[in-house]
Amino acid sequence: MSEPLEKQTRDGPILEASGLVKDYWMGPQRLRVLQGVSLSVRRGEFLCVLGPSGSGKSTLLHLLGLLDRPTEGRVVFEGQDAFDRPKRWRDRMRNEAIGFVFQFYYLMPDLTVLGNTLLPAMVRTPALAWPLARHRYRREALGVLKDLGLGERAQHLPKELSGGERQRAAIARALVHRPRVLFADEPTGNLDSATGAEIMKVLARLNRKGGLTVVMVTHDERIARQADRVLHLQDGRLLHGA
Amino acid sequence: MEQTWIAEPWLIAALAGAGLVALGLVALVLTTSVYKHVICLKYLFSGWKAVVPLVSAMPAALGVFLLILVFAIMDGFAHDTREVTRGTLADIIVDAHFEGLPYYDDFAARIKEIDGVEVATPVIQTFAMVRVKPAFPAVRATVQPCMLIGIRPGEKALVGRFQQYLEQQQVTEKEPWKAALYPADRLLTVPPDIAEARREAGLPVRPGAIVGKGLVSYPVRAIESQEVDVSAVVILAWSLVGVLALGAAAVGYRAMGRYGHTTPAAWLAALYLLVAPAIGAVLLAAHGVGLLLPAAPPFPVPELTRADSSGEIWLTWGGVAALAAVWIAAAIFVFLSRERRFFWLRPVGLMHFLGGAAALLAFWSSGLRYGPHLVEQDQVEDKLAVPYGGEIVVSTIPISASGALRIEAGGVPKVNTRALTLVDTFKSGFWESDASHVYVDFSVAQALAGMDGRPAAGPDDPAAPARASQIQVKVRDPARSAAIVERIRDAWRQFVGERPDASAMVSVNTWETQQKTILGVVEMEKNITALMLGMMFLGFGVLIALISYVMAYIKSRDVGILKALGARDVGVGSLFLGYGFIVGLLGTAAGLVGSLLMIHYLDPIEIWVNQILHTDVFPRTTYYFEHIPRHLSAAWCVGVSLAVLALSTLASLAGGLLAAIKQPVETLRNE
Repeated sequence: MSEPLEKQTRDGPILEASGLVKDYWMGPQRLRVLQGVSLSVRRGEFLCVLGPSGSGKSTLLHLLGLLDRPTEGRVVFEGQDAFDRPKRWRDRMRNEAIGFVFQFYYLMPDLTVLGNTLLPAMVRTPALAWPLARHRYRREALGVLKDLGLGERAQHLPKELSGGERQRAAIARALVHRPRVLFADEPTGNLDSATGAEIMKVLARLNRKGGLTVVMVTHDERIARQADRVLHLQDGRLLHGA
Repeated sequence: MEQTWIAEPWLIAALAGAGLVALGLVALVLTTSVYKHVICLKYLFSGWKAVVPLVSAMPAALGVFLLILVFAIMDGFAHDTREVTRGTLADIIVDAHFEGLPYYDDFAARIKEIDGVEVATPVIQTFAMVRVKPAFPAVRATVQPCMLIGIRPGEKALVGRFQQYLEQQQVTEKEPWKAALYPADRLLTVPPDIAEARREAGLPVRPGAIVGKGLVSYPVRAIESQEVDVSAVVILAWSLVGVLALGAAAVGYRAMGRYGHTTPAAWLAALYLLVAPAIGAVLLAAHGVGLLLPAAPPFPVPELTRADSSGEIWLTWGGVAALAAVWIAAAIFVFLSRERRFFWLRPVGLMHFLGGAAALLAFWSSGLRYGPHLVEQDQVEDKLAVPYGGEIVVSTIPISASGALRIEAGGVPKVNTRALTLVDTFKSGFWESDASHVYVDFSVAQALAGMDGRPAAGPDDPAAPARASQIQVKVRDPARSAAIVERIRDAWRQFVGERPDASAMVSVNTWETQQKTILGVVEMEKNITALMLGMMFLGFGVLIALISYVMAYIKSRDVGILKALGARDVGVGSLFLGYGFIVGLLGTAAGLVGSLLMIHYLDPIEIWVNQILHTDVFPRTTYYFEHIPRHLSAAWCVGVSLAVLALSTLASLAGGLLAAIKQPVETLRNE
């Protein structure tokens, strides 16, 4: 007998992918990057997908993070089939329930650290409501920045920060709206080992103390060891059961 | 420049429409996500990259500037030509050509009975030759073709603007009191002093003639002092308006969120660019510049009067105090800020300091008034070859009622010649008329043209009634001219039915139909110019589209980031659309202000260009207008501005579509 939907949603997997296939077309030639990937992510889990360059890690992350549409297969996010829902729903999920951290930070160069951190709030707030909401969002953003050790850097532009600081700013932007899942694409790939370790500590702390679900892809086994579970991806297939 | 802004009834509707559109835009802006406004403003005004939107705005500004300026001048030509043509002729012309219309007074009386007709006067019009002997002993006489026009001056003055175009006996709407000085019915009468002088010199007193200025004068170069009003206060006012507008934009920018660490340098540059004319105003105005120099400056320093009324003094010193307070407060604020040590050394800080000082100085100078002053410039002046009271001789070949030339014994065409006394000159500003018209009394012209009545000479030679070439008609409401033309045609058919011997080839037309050839040419030139500028304008659209596309391409990573954060495709696309709209708005505003200023100061600018380049950009001998004609149409200004705004917004669809369809993963994987 099936459990009530509410309990399923609370205790069941936050994210499920089944039979994910992704093709890219290079002119007339089809390139199958993912070949039927299925996995499940539990709420509060720190999952790492490990694989060499070109194995399809980033593509998998983009599909799980609802940034791209799979050629085949489905992604169920919090009990909802994401690609059966309208695009507007996926946009809203990315804005409210999902956070992204990228290898190259992807901060907006014209905005300060604070401005970058406020971006998700700016995306969902109409201009009319902004003057009233702005102070609350600003307070929250400054709180997150302070937690990540960037309190003094709030008014600086990304170009004035070190690599580690930029990645922390990107994490702040990904966390400020209290997402349910954080997707990290090689978050330490562009950093030296000491700074990389520092970023990993931050992610681990967020997962263990804050209960945040983290899905990270990396090619670095040492980094992957810090996750609760590691999945190996090679040539678009998972080597162990999900 | 004729201002018809307020007079145009559609203006209220247009303003209401524009207000509704503006309200709609404000509502749209307020209900869409704030990130678009923040990012859009960042793209527009952040750092030196802001040069891109400024460059993008230039085509739009240039388009608006050229379309309004060139069209205003072309429309000025068309408008002035129409006005002068209409003023020289009449609302309606009943034309019987050279063979003439008999019983013209009877028919004119019949026309006057038609409802809406104010005046109807017969006119003689025939080709002639005029001989002018300049009043210089060694100069030979000139013989030129002319149009001999016989008028009843009292009636002719009521039909058109004839008396406004006279140089000696001019009566304008501004000086109606002169009508008593120069009664219309005596315009062709030789003044008593001239008549007396001629009698004393043993010369006969001839009938009076009013001759086109171009026939009895010759152009000479003369240095003329022209009054030019370049008021420092006006320049300063414009500068301050600009500074205030930028200040308001800056307040909005700040209110939107202080998410940029750097000062928008392009904004500062624009601010100080506006301060520059204010400094120029100071240089123009400040007598102090001359006083500061050890020796007399090599350039003329105009004399100044200081503010003399208490209001001006309060305004000036109040402004100085307010600006000084703002400046000092800003300096204290900066000093207390965490980067105070670097402020004065940074270019932005230095610009603040210098800009503040310049603004202060400029405001102080507003109390100095730089009034109209004289500028010497080369002018073309028309000198009379024959003085008033001098003689001209007009010769013409009379034409019979059948249209045949009068032939004398031996088969030689008969030539009627008459010496006339120059009593006035005619200058409408329209070369066609001014270089050909010779006005004489109706009866004199009638006799010269052989159109005077002749009694019967025998049973085989019946009496010939006197004839007139035209009947010129003034109507009360020019808008009803076409309907009255039909009524006059009906009246003519009835008149001929009653008097079969009055039969003549008569055409009844409005002045526009009569002059359609020349008016058509001017209109066609105007339309061709508008068309060519319109084509250029499409080129501007392509340029804006390209800039917008390149902008969206350069910013594709930002597009990816925004979409990863949940921004919708339409939202990100509309960011670039808004960017295009603001670029268009900046360009349109700059072009509109520039063209209006240029049109307003066209004459001083022309004088300045003439002096700098040692040329005459608008030779009076060619165009025969005193000033470069211009006619500003509110409809055209509003239409061009809206069109450029719409075009730049539409053109930026190129960038908007690119941003909207761009997949976030495409841009985020390309590093």
